[in-house]
Amino acid sequence: MAHQAHAYHMVDPSPWPLTGAVGGLLMTSGLAIWFHFHSTTLMTLGLMLLLLTMYQWWRDIIREGTFQGHHTPPVQKGLRYGMILFITSEVFFFLGFFWAFYHSSLAPTPELGGCWPPTGIITLDPFEVPLLNTAVLLASGVTVTWAHHSLMEGERKQAIQSLALTILLGLYFTALQAMEYYEAPFTIADGVYGSTFFVATGFHGLHVIIGSSFLAVCFLRQVQYHFTSEHHFGFEAAAWYWHFVDVVWLFLYVSIYWWGS
Amino acid sequence: MRHLLSLPRLASRAFSTTARQLKNKVPERQKVFLEDNGLPVHIKGGTTDVLLYRLTMTITVAGTGFSLYWLLLACMPKSKAQ
Repeated sequence: MAHQAHAYHMVDPSPWPLTGAVGGLLMTSGLAIWFHFHSTTLMTLGLMLLLLTMYQWWRDIIREGTFQGHHTPPVQKGLRYGMILFITSEVFFFLGFFWAFYHSSLAPTPELGGCWPPTGIITLDPFEVPLLNTAVLLASGVTVTWAHHSLMEGERKQAIQSLALTILLGLYFTALQAMEYYEAPFTIADGVYGSTFFVATGFHGLHVIIGSSFLAVCFLRQVQYHFTSEHHFGFEAAAWYWHFVDVVWLFLYVSIYWWGS
Repeated sequence: MRHLLSLPRLASRAFSTTARQLKNKVPERQKVFLEDNGLPVHIKGGTTDVLLYRLTMTITVAGTGFSLYWLLLACMPKSKAQ
């Protein structure tokens, strides 16, 4: 644009922050209405609104960056800071659940039998599916790094293949974990063991799904020639998020699955 | 057996949207979004943008009204008829 004398991005007025906020309102009040009045309409509307907002907002960011050229180096720096801050906030989110786990497991109460795992809990063998899950996520960390290097070296086909492999590994993890959930000999209602296990691993699983979706969007963008060898921050952000998800799993595996068994 | 052996080659030909057939449409899209028509980016893409925006706004306004209705309902004392 010939109109600005600076490298920063003055965004067009956008309706998405408003629609997103209302979506949050509808989902939360909808949840309360579902509990008390048995109607899911409000919550469903909220979910639809949230999905529509996410789709259009991120679509607009892609337009602003890839098609309008607004993502200059200073702007990209800001986006990097933003993603790092967001991931940091997510680290603190998980820290809370690890705090809860260690609070209960380091000093088990008499109600649990004074031991961890509590009396009556049949734990999952950490060297069966959980170990496979660890291998799957570690491998996906390798394939996403391979994808990054392929991108930087201009190897289009390799970037597409390694990115596809990363997504498939993510889906494989999700499928394995879903199967584990179904087959587990304990439930979320089984005392503090069940609570800490399913809430911590459950939120992690949700983040795997989010990360896989982010990578899938990057895959579609790579196929459509959006990324260049110099400029592909969307992919880098997805890769950072994916590594974060991987690290959280490693902590979960060592703490809950292995030490906690 | 010969037909079975050629399956991988045929499959990759049938589904090779990624490697060969897809053309780079980024320059066209850049032209659309750099046009000096004063449109904000969220409706600059065309009719689909406007329709999707209208749908989203409708849900926003209707949803807000709906949540206020349910709020009023929740504030009412519980009638014996319920």
